[in-house]
Amino acid sequence: MSGEPRARTAVVVTGAGLAVPGLTGPGDLLGAPAGGAGFDPETGLKGRDLRHKDRATRLALRSVEPALRDAGLLGAGGPALDGTRTAVVVSSNTGNYDSVCAYVDIAARQTSRAISAMGLPHTSTSAIAGWIAAGHGLHGPAVTLCNGATSGLDALYWGRNLIAADRADTVVVTGVEPANDVVHKLLGTRTVDGAATVVLESAAHAADRAGRVRAHWHGLHRGRDHDEVLRTAAGSAAPGIGLWLTGARETRPAHLGTSVRPVALADGLGECGGALGVLQCAAAVAHFDAGGGGAALATVCAADVSAALTLLPPATTSDSPASPAEWSERSGRPERPERSP
Amino acid sequence: MSWDIAGIGIVSCVGGDARTTYDALCAGRDGLAPVRVFDTANYRAHHAYEVDDRGPGGDRPLRATGWLLSAVAQALADAGLDEDLDEVPVLVGTTLREQRSVELWWRGGPKVPVERLDFGMALRERFAATTSYTFANACAASLYALGLAADMIELGQADTVVVAGTDSIAESTFAAMDRAQTLVPDAARPFDRGHRGMVMGEGAVAAVLRRAGTGRAVARLRSVGLNCDAAHPTAPDPEGITAAVREAHRRAGVTPRDIELVMLHGTGTARNDETEAAVMSEVFAEGPGPLMTAVKSGVGHTLGGSGLLSLLTAVLSMRYGAVPPVIGLREPIDEAAGLRLVRDASRPASIGLAQVNAFGFGGINAVAVVEKA
Repeated sequence: MSGEPRARTAVVVTGAGLAVPGLTGPGDLLGAPAGGAGFDPETGLKGRDLRHKDRATRLALRSVEPALRDAGLLGAGGPALDGTRTAVVVSSNTGNYDSVCAYVDIAARQTSRAISAMGLPHTSTSAIAGWIAAGHGLHGPAVTLCNGATSGLDALYWGRNLIAADRADTVVVTGVEPANDVVHKLLGTRTVDGAATVVLESAAHAADRAGRVRAHWHGLHRGRDHDEVLRTAAGSAAPGIGLWLTGARETRPAHLGTSVRPVALADGLGECGGALGVLQCAAAVAHFDAGGGGAALATVCAADVSAALTLLPPATTSDSPASPAEWSERSGRPERPERSP
Repeated sequence: MSWDIAGIGIVSCVGGDARTTYDALCAGRDGLAPVRVFDTANYRAHHAYEVDDRGPGGDRPLRATGWLLSAVAQALADAGLDEDLDEVPVLVGTTLREQRSVELWWRGGPKVPVERLDFGMALRERFAATTSYTFANACAASLYALGLAADMIELGQADTVVVAGTDSIAESTFAAMDRAQTLVPDAARPFDRGHRGMVMGEGAVAAVLRRAGTGRAVARLRSVGLNCDAAHPTAPDPEGITAAVREAHRRAGVTPRDIELVMLHGTGTARNDETEAAVMSEVFAEGPGPLMTAVKSGVGHTLGGSGLLSLLTAVLSMRYGAVPPVIGLREPIDEAAGLRLVRDASRPASIGLAQVNAFGFGGINAVAVVEKA
């Protein structure tokens, strides 16, 4: 393989984009509207490039484009990146359930002839990643997570791993959940109808192309006990937490302090499912873009499973004692999955 | 770098464990039968390779989850490990997840809790697995999971990882295949002139992957190459497949001449068989080339688990000294004329190094190289 782990383990976020109804971009997630018309699925999900694709794929593609542009990786003539070294990671829990249920409905009433001949790819959630790769010429690994509440943060973890393992220099990470009748009946609650994409890069690759760093990857902790995961994640962030992006069903642990600003994206957007972690990462980028200080902590928890992502502000330099590189060295294995006590 | 494969497990239509499945494949015994899992009156195709364990009263939810737990338990026992995965990540590759359970609910069946539509909760309950990931990576899923597991070990995130694959036949996929395939296949006949398309199978596979030298090993993983065609949504791309094969060889530090067995993806569709055979003919143009076989001829297309099933069959071929045949192969297609396809009966062979192909919808490719322990 690629031999011993090298300095590749320093990973940064260089771009973020959204396709969420009513929102213009990541800044809107933190209640700071950038002005202008927000995304409208009625008009935004049309176009030649979206033909024969399910709603999840169309939403996903509409978030990838602004994220690549935000990262400076999309020129006027198309992608300005090395496709052979760019990977795709998608997170979606309910992405293709609308197609799955529609096909069995059709087949129960008529013959299989009544199903669209172009409908086969959507029987597998992996189609979303395949379409993103095909749309932008990305030949690196294409990975799809359908991993429940933590799926979005898990997708970021695997995006980071693809860089650390030298399988890619750049990773497009997309979280998407479509709203439809099947999802509504299945979840019984208001859900987001949208997608978020962030661009992860090795710090070296971003530096080489003079790409603007929007956040530094610090660590992702995962475990069974939410308080324990939070304590470990918060404790690892030396500058203190400046923004806490919470998932559902969380209580504020005492050690986070009362000055930390908690933001539950699901309060405004509806349940975000597999898109949540990526939306949180996009919100963290917006926080740092707006000059927000401290570390950004994104957390998600469900029954017996918890994950927490820590991102550091872009101004964190290698000279500073708060350097992510130094921390990684000091803590040895910062990405090791959290153990429950 | 290499990784130890410490234990394996298989649930297939021809056997509830690894050895039984391997013996059936070597004996040329397939699991083909008329579809029983749902009514095929509205379809052109009527055959599949089913694990026939529904019991009375029609289909039931969560069968893919059940097979997964069985395969993982087998692999842990084979590796001599306890059923305690508190500190062992589990990576599950699947095409359809529990979509069959969603279909059954949608058509009036019992509602399965949303938390059970990925495999995390079942793995937590049965094995106390703290960390698990469900990857929906189409028909390359379990080999993708294997590659990502190797990365975890290489990066120092774990010393032992359980890798698995599982899928049950979903009616929506059967229906969409029935619509999309030009011909109506009544059997999986990879690389045969009579191939008429893909026939679905089902089941689960699992392997315990460990840092080299951690304990006993049944085989060694040398590499997994991962990429994406970034081209057609369902048709394989020769350039993408070739790149995945070359990457697997480069990562393993081997040349095509070192490969003694290729486990082909071999779906039985014209597009796959012609493209894959042409690429293999080119990659292995020098010398007599390796032996080749395709297990989908015996168990159908087991989707997400199919790649790891092929790899485990290679491991069993190394252990027991015989390679199962491509069942039903009578007259190879032109593109496969120069390939040493094992046919008619199992072939005694001493295999030291094997390559395993898995190509999925969306142009997702994974190619592994595995070595005899």
